[in-house]
Amino acid sequence: MNSVPMLHLLQLVSPALPVGAYSYSEGLETLVQSEQITDLITLEHWLTQELQYGAIRLESAVLMRIYRSAQANDRPKLSYWNQWLSAFRETEELREQSWQMGRSLSRLLQSLQPDLESSIAACEDPCNFVTAFALASVHWQIDCETAVLGYLHSWASNLVSAGVRLIPLGQTQGQHVLLNLYPQIEQTVNEVVTLADDELECCGWGLSIASMTHETLYSRLFRS
Amino acid sequence: MPSLSPTPWQGRLHLEFTHPSDKTILSRSEVQAPLKVQRPFYPEGAAVCHSVMLHTAGGIVGGDRLSCTTHLHPQAQVLVTTAAATKIYRSNGITAQQNTRISVAEAACLEWLPQETIVFDGAIYRQNLRVELAANATWIGWDITRLGRSARGEQFLSGEWRSRTEVWQGDRLLWVDPQYLIGGSEMLQSDPGLAGYPVIASFAFIKQPIPKELLEKVRGFSPIPPFPHLPVPASETGVTRLTSGLLCRYRGNSTSEARHWFIQVWQLLRHEYLGRSICIPRVWQM
Repeated sequence: MNSVPMLHLLQLVSPALPVGAYSYSEGLETLVQSEQITDLITLEHWLTQELQYGAIRLESAVLMRIYRSAQANDRPKLSYWNQWLSAFRETEELREQSWQMGRSLSRLLQSLQPDLESSIAACEDPCNFVTAFALASVHWQIDCETAVLGYLHSWASNLVSAGVRLIPLGQTQGQHVLLNLYPQIEQTVNEVVTLADDELECCGWGLSIASMTHETLYSRLFRS
Repeated sequence: MPSLSPTPWQGRLHLEFTHPSDKTILSRSEVQAPLKVQRPFYPEGAAVCHSVMLHTAGGIVGGDRLSCTTHLHPQAQVLVTTAAATKIYRSNGITAQQNTRISVAEAACLEWLPQETIVFDGAIYRQNLRVELAANATWIGWDITRLGRSARGEQFLSGEWRSRTEVWQGDRLLWVDPQYLIGGSEMLQSDPGLAGYPVIASFAFIKQPIPKELLEKVRGFSPIPPFPHLPVPASETGVTRLTSGLLCRYRGNSTSEARHWFIQVWQLLRHEYLGRSICIPRVWQM
């Protein structure tokens, strides 16, 4: 068994990866303040719905596209999908989040794997986190679907941890939420594998308005 | 029953505007039923051409394919709206589609302000909007959609609504907004989706990055509920900066509430970037 890709994946999705994910709540801080999310059930419901039809589902689909473009060494396509992500992240805070985490991860990769430098440069624009994540996955030979599973897991565990701090919930309750999300994470990956480009669509009104409102919150623990 | 319409429409509309010496004119128009365009008018002087599109069949049914292209030559200043709300009727199972393609050349400005779209329960509808901007071109646009004839208690219990907007500046994609809603699904009632509100609306200004002070001014406006005594939760709104512009989102109870809020924002942006006040088209009947 070749365990190297698995070890690389674990490194990439670890909360210890120095990209600052813990400082972002992706709208949860607004939703807790406005009491739309108040407990374990409402948190799990929000995250499940986001995975079913929200922006994160589309990000997974684009992660696959960037992965395949990088694998085929198709630089124009890689750059297109990275630009697409920036154009899709419509609120200023969510865009800044994706760019900051993307910048941190790409710097880290350049230091760990200097041969990745030219792929990162191919993005031209600010490199989104999804893009850097896809490039690392290709480089470390992590299988595409496994990489998306890992990406969704790190997304979910980061937001569960934000929820635990904000609501607040007990750590054990947080772990329950995460565990309960696994079937939906799996289903999301299975669905996005077959999505055609003209099926890249989402329903993101709640996240969009929560994120826009977050930019105006008087007191904030999180940067999104 | 409109859904029993025997043959679907393949409507087409092509408009071109030019700007010879201080005047914007509709220099070319090609129409194919049921789409039409009214004779242009100039309620705020010769510089800005107001143009009203018409759908002469009353509404859109399954199988209809409407295609609309609008091109603004350099410096043309144009406001486009529609004569009435667009109705999308219950479908016979086939998708109705509206494709709009807009290109705006250097220093031209298009204000794309159609009246609201009413998506009947059971409608299957897809709209695509692609905007191509030259450097220094301006696009101001809004989309106001009501799902189900909610005034008479109708909900969007079946059917599909899809809307894809792409705004390009040269070869850069500035904003992509790929939306969908499945009638009767959880996304209509859940907080991440529509949270039970029947109306969704978006307003975008795209040209250049905007300063923080202007963003704060826009945030100073808030929607005014048209029927404050009704026992419904207040509408929700948000404003943010796009990389080269501004975006406002609304999910709420009333198309006119959304429009009035957008008009305040439009007025501010017109002052700031176009150096003129707004001029409400008469067809809006406000």
